[in-house]
Amino acid sequence: MTDLPGWLAILAGGLVVTIGLTAATGVLAVIWSGLLATASISPWRWLRGTARLYADIFRSIPLLALLIFVYFGLGPYASKLGVSSFWLAVLALTLSESSYMAEVYRGALQSIPGSQWEAALSLGLSWPATVRLVVLPQALLPAIPSTVNALIATLKDSSLASLIAVNEVTQTATILVSDTFLPLQVYTVLGALYFVLIAPLSYVSKRLEAMLGSQFGVRARTGAVALQPVADARV
Amino acid sequence: MTFSEILADLLTGAMVTVQIAVGAWAVSALLGMLFAVARDRGMRAAVIPISVLVTVLRSIPQLVVLYLLYFGIGALGVDVPPLIAAILALGVTDAAFSAEYYRAGFMTVPATQREAGLSLGLSPLKVMRLVIIPQTIPFVVPPLLNSFVGLLKTATLAAAVGAPEILYRGQTVMQTTGRLVAVAAIVIGLYIVVTLPLTRLVARLERRVRAYA
Repeated sequence: MTDLPGWLAILAGGLVVTIGLTAATGVLAVIWSGLLATASISPWRWLRGTARLYADIFRSIPLLALLIFVYFGLGPYASKLGVSSFWLAVLALTLSESSYMAEVYRGALQSIPGSQWEAALSLGLSWPATVRLVVLPQALLPAIPSTVNALIATLKDSSLASLIAVNEVTQTATILVSDTFLPLQVYTVLGALYFVLIAPLSYVSKRLEAMLGSQFGVRARTGAVALQPVADARV
Repeated sequence: MTFSEILADLLTGAMVTVQIAVGAWAVSALLGMLFAVARDRGMRAAVIPISVLVTVLRSIPQLVVLYLLYFGIGALGVDVPPLIAAILALGVTDAAFSAEYYRAGFMTVPATQREAGLSLGLSPLKVMRLVIIPQTIPFVVPPLLNSFVGLLKTATLAAAVGAPEILYRGQTVMQTTGRLVAVAAIVIGLYIVVTLPLTRLVARLERRVRAYA
């Protein structure tokens, strides 16, 4: 470790981009996958079919492949419009992450008992109103731990953006390596930085799961079960 | 380059992708089992280091682990071929997740089974091998298959260290011929054809196991 403070100062710049990438993707993916999940339980068959087809297709495509195709395909147009590769990475990450998150959210929505639907519909609420006023408010809280887990996955996956010229922390580290010729040391510091960001998030997600599990019983737990394939079948 | 030439080239790459996924899966399944058994039984000295290792592996992007193995170990003067680096990096990070599947599997076996085995005079390791592990198989197989599907996809990371897998070849074709649409169609098409039926199969298996549990 020749110059740890110097390295950290350089890597901090990349870390800010990594956090920005994760935050932008997180917000967009939550919205997009919420819409997809709602669509996938809607009473209209074409809409359900489209939402499920989307999830099936985008879960089949490796994230790196998606990033590279988006970069090569849209990159030339994007640079003409002044859109940086950062936003191309946000696009690819959002498309991919939301295909996993939509499944989790669908599970959360479906865990609301059928009697709730029947009660709302018999009160004369329309389907959209039932979702908005009855089902969604009840499904939101139990979905929080899964959302934190998805955020953790996004944070890790955002490292792939380094391969399409986004100057996030992994790319910053790679540039640092080409300056210092100390890959083992630089990448160890990089790994430690990711760990410092992610370990507290994992802790929070675990605590939330335990808290909500005791409060919501089965519902939060089914959310956790539904999450499992997501956490690992990733990228 | 005609479409069929591109297809042939990418299929050659797909073979490498499958090799990486199978190799990493084997590493993950074995190492994960080792983590879980050591954590589960007796080996006090192993519990804390393994917990720390699992937590660390879960918190670091696979790409960073891959760089550490390929460039990091490489800088120590040990030449790690890209294929081996990819298999090890993906396998080791995935093992942190496999360990949890095994642990969850162990939890489904009642403690009385272990007690019965021990009281019959079996050694703790034999109880593990002959009594506990066989009963966990139906619970562990679906998530392990799931992780194989995941590894087929993450195997594309090997492109970052120059292993000639499907995406690496695809990028080369795109850069030399500019045929983005053909490459994207083939890569995405192949992945859908291979992973979608597998995912469906695993989901069906999972439902069966859950019904039986």
